[in-house]
Amino acid sequence: MTTNTELTVLDPTGKLSIATAGMAERPDSLAGKRIGLLANDKLNADRLLDAIYDVLADRFEVVTAHRANKGNASRPADPGVLKTFASEVDVALLANGD
Amino acid sequence: MNSSGNGSPAANLSSEQVQVSDALAAIETYFERGWTDGLPVVPPTPEAVNGFLQAAHLEPDRILGVESTKGAVITAEKAAINAVMAGCRPEYMPVVAAAVEAITEDQFNLHGITVSTMGAGILLVINGPIAQQLGINSAESVFGPGNRANATIGRAVRLIVTNVIGTRAGELDKATLGHPGKYSWCIAEKQIRLPWEPLHVARGFSAEDSAVTTFAGLSGIQVGEHEANTPEGILDSFVGRLYAVGQGMKEVLVVFCPEHAAYLKSAGWNRKQVCEYLYESSKEPHSAVMSLGGVKEALSDAPATGVGALASPDAVVPIVAGGDGGGWSMVIPMWSTGAKTRSVTKRIITAG
Repeated sequence: MTTNTELTVLDPTGKLSIATAGMAERPDSLAGKRIGLLANDKLNADRLLDAIYDVLADRFEVVTAHRANKGNASRPADPGVLKTFASEVDVALLANGD
Repeated sequence: MNSSGNGSPAANLSSEQVQVSDALAAIETYFERGWTDGLPVVPPTPEAVNGFLQAAHLEPDRILGVESTKGAVITAEKAAINAVMAGCRPEYMPVVAAAVEAITEDQFNLHGITVSTMGAGILLVINGPIAQQLGINSAESVFGPGNRANATIGRAVRLIVTNVIGTRAGELDKATLGHPGKYSWCIAEKQIRLPWEPLHVARGFSAEDSAVTTFAGLSGIQVGEHEANTPEGILDSFVGRLYAVGQGMKEVLVVFCPEHAAYLKSAGWNRKQVCEYLYESSKEPHSAVMSLGGVKEALSDAPATGVGALASPDAVVPIVAGGDGGGWSMVIPMWSTGAKTRSVTKRIITAG
């Protein structure tokens, strides 16, 4: 207990159960990997992802691209969509158009 | 850590305690920790927080709502701490609690409306006997400063969103411009000037109930009309403003000032007639709207042809508020034109 204090006040903040996610583990190489492209359903997100994929395809022997879309930019992706997406790809890129 | 003994006023509370020398030190500490809206707060002592919980007959661990996207649980204790900080009186706590229940309903889309670049505020409209009991302003300068209940109830809800859910400006709140109503935005409907039933009665509550309705409102657009004295003449002046953020709106709040409402009332117009007139009067095709710089995003939710400002007559939510003098009303569009948020009404429970 701290001394020399005269007033006790309370912390107004809450704890978020969904922690801020860190970056996923990086593969040694993208060669032969399945690239997932997840757009947030807003303008140009799909175009940005395609442009990045084109660069990756030029640099690595990428097997294929799997595209998915959240379908609603203001809400989290449907868990079913994410589960299917995760099962189809080795690495994933996300883009927020706006 | 909570180090209090069982005899402490904080014994029933789980929030971490902060020891400070006095109230001024508490205010500075809360600034330093990013726990304010930029204004000083009232230090939330355990005694004050318990007084608020008792006034609303709430146990501290009672869950008022959950923001599922970020996994934030809003307990009565956390709501009360922030209500004390906002400067509320204990008897305001039932209103704050009902507002939290409303904004955490799924259809309100609290995550979307608080992090979006579009920058909505959360407007609380209070109906029923509690508005008069607490002295919530519904008259002159209804959206302005000077009334403790309006200022602090609205501020409490914003502090809860900021502190409990962590939606701070520049961090999770990415609003391009923000919104002055994010400091506080709370009014009462002026029920003594209504041409029709109060908002909460229109939504199924009894006139004896008190209720709060929450809106994810964008900036209001003032509508001046000082010459017309017919319903048609008055409502025609609203039409252009209905296009301010796009078209095909699924919800828009129309705040009629008492002067405009009086002309509607004397002509015998009811809520349905007003909504249908506004709908029929704003059917300009969206190509004309787009030439004025409307929101393209809204187009995706509208039928291809024949839709103007409103998706349907039901999109209009008319209320009455403001001073009796002056022909100044207001159109308040909703975030995402109402396509991805919808207002919520909750009963305010004052009895144990």
